[in-house]
Amino acid sequence: MSTNVPAIGLPSRWILPAAAGLVLLSFVAAIFLGIVDLPARDVLSALTGSGSREARSIVLDIRLPRIVTGILAGMQFALAGLLLQTITRNPLADPSLMGVSQGATLTVTLFLLFTVYLAHPDSYSVNELPIAWLPPMGMLGGMVSGGIIYILAFRLGLSPLRITLCGIAIGAVLHAIAIGLIAGWGSARIEIILEWLSGSLYARTWDHALFLLPFTLAGLAMLPLIYRPLFLLRFDAAVARSFGLSYRWQFSVVLLVSCGLAASAVGAVGPVVFVGLIVPHLARFLAGRYFPLVLPLTIVLGAVIVTLGDLIGRVAGGPEEVPIGVVTALMGVPVLLALLRKVP
Amino acid sequence: MDARKSSIAIGLVVAATLLVIAAGLMPGARTLSFDAVLRALFNPDGKIESILVWTLRLPRSLAAATAGAGLAVSGYLLQSLTRNPLADPGITGVTAGAIAPIVTCFVFLPWVSGLYYPLVGLAGGLAAASVTFWVARGGNSHPLHLALGGVSVSLFLGAITIYVLLFAGPQSTALLFWLAGGFAGRTWVNLSQMLPWVLLGVLGALVCHRVIAMFALDDHSAAAMGVQLTVWKPVLLLLGVCPVAGVAPVAGPVAFVGLAAPHIARLLRPRGTVWEIGLAAAIGALIVTAADLIARTVAIPKELPVGIVTALIGGPLFVYLIQRGRLDFKGQGA
Repeated sequence: MSTNVPAIGLPSRWILPAAAGLVLLSFVAAIFLGIVDLPARDVLSALTGSGSREARSIVLDIRLPRIVTGILAGMQFALAGLLLQTITRNPLADPSLMGVSQGATLTVTLFLLFTVYLAHPDSYSVNELPIAWLPPMGMLGGMVSGGIIYILAFRLGLSPLRITLCGIAIGAVLHAIAIGLIAGWGSARIEIILEWLSGSLYARTWDHALFLLPFTLAGLAMLPLIYRPLFLLRFDAAVARSFGLSYRWQFSVVLLVSCGLAASAVGAVGPVVFVGLIVPHLARFLAGRYFPLVLPLTIVLGAVIVTLGDLIGRVAGGPEEVPIGVVTALMGVPVLLALLRKVP
Repeated sequence: MDARKSSIAIGLVVAATLLVIAAGLMPGARTLSFDAVLRALFNPDGKIESILVWTLRLPRSLAAATAGAGLAVSGYLLQSLTRNPLADPGITGVTAGAIAPIVTCFVFLPWVSGLYYPLVGLAGGLAAASVTFWVARGGNSHPLHLALGGVSVSLFLGAITIYVLLFAGPQSTALLFWLAGGFAGRTWVNLSQMLPWVLLGVLGALVCHRVIAMFALDDHSAAAMGVQLTVWKPVLLLLGVCPVAGVAPVAGPVAFVGLAAPHIARLLRPRGTVWEIGLAAAIGALIVTAADLIARTVAIPKELPVGIVTALIGGPLFVYLIQRGRLDFKGQGA
């Protein structure tokens, strides 16, 4: 909790405005750049409500919703990762540690399997798939598997180590079952699952953004309540208790917030796991260990990383866009490796 | 257990494996009677029964047994090398490291013959393991670093695998079935591709049993006993990756066997390292053979990927080990 100087020597009061500027910059870039070459003038006129129908539909119905969804999801992943890393005192924690992405994968698979097979055994068209239901289903699965891991670890005294071990075990089981189901299912609709699995902002609509918005707001609203306990949760249970913290209760609350944020985001955009892992480290690298600065910076950078990652995926891949999950994984690994070696 | 009891235990497990293999010759899309199996086994004629037994059911069961033994020894070696009860081919990223380049080769370089896949897998598995061990400082840092580093490496490689699958188009279904781990339609050729790698791992482990036993101490003590760490660590790692490299191209990732079998073997407390390795291999063979039998009989005529079955067996066992405090890293400041 010491006020360490930021690693890069940038005065700390400039960091947040700079990050906010970066959000704006990436947002503007994401609107103006894309696979369809729209002149900047057309984009501007589409934004103000005039302009050709084509430009309006590209900007307002395709680009904007996926950017907004990406920003919301990025904020949620980053915040969830930061909370998990803080309370488990594990610099490598990310939402998949709580089995969130694996559980979500399993329920989405099960859901598609059952609805498609039971309701439309003969349909091969993507339009008939109940895609609108995927976000809530994914979220449900993420929460349930997080809950199972929590219950298993709770019996064992809720130490961060136990959570990690149970998370690895349950996550691996759920993942194996999901992959097995997808394989055994083996139909032409497999691509839907694959696309969802790789984490993608492709074809995200305003519905997805609206689905995420309440969770983002709720998560942000919870922050003032869990802000002070977070300081103490960074210590051992014994130390935290000696400061008068009801450890289990506060630990559980923070865990719940983190799981809720991660699970809803996974439901909407698929398992974009690395965002939750990298962004908090990036924030710590920029802001030092000064938590009051790290927290907002994490949220802001989450939005930037996902927007930029999606932009890169959209532009770099040509007509076959690279899913954001792949982009973040590729960008994240060098960061991760450097970081892992630094941890004593 | 003394040597006699240990050998009896290994004998019993091997006998049970053979029994499962024999029993597995009967059920299937066309159920054969016991007599028919015996007749086909000892007097193979060109009839449908002997084809079923000799080209469909026997090779796949033997492949399952071989894969199980290989994965178990691989897990045993990785656990000894890192002194980390969590280490296994899956958690250290070795499996994902073998899978990702093979999938990439399959989709983008179709002219690479399947014969080279073990080599590709070996290179990938070694690379992934090196990264994981580099992150975990050769297993000397906090034990969780190994697990988390490995899981992160696996996640990364998994993302690549999924992305490559998106390019695979119509092949993705076949690839996915392979990715789920399974022995359906594996032939004598597959078995012979896999066998040398598994034998290399198992025999290598048996030959090096003295060194492995000394690795149970900490690094300093092992060095003081005359173990050249800079030589033996890479050698043991290589031996540990070999079976996975052989098994992965044939059977895909078979989850949890490498983790569970050595733990079960140690629970039985055999006499020394040699017996532990043997017992672990036998138990691994039994688990995978039984899982394969279950996978292909519960939903005749369809079959489940064997990975589901081993995950369903191994996952609860893992949780049980956690609950019993066997994975507690005592005295390591967790």
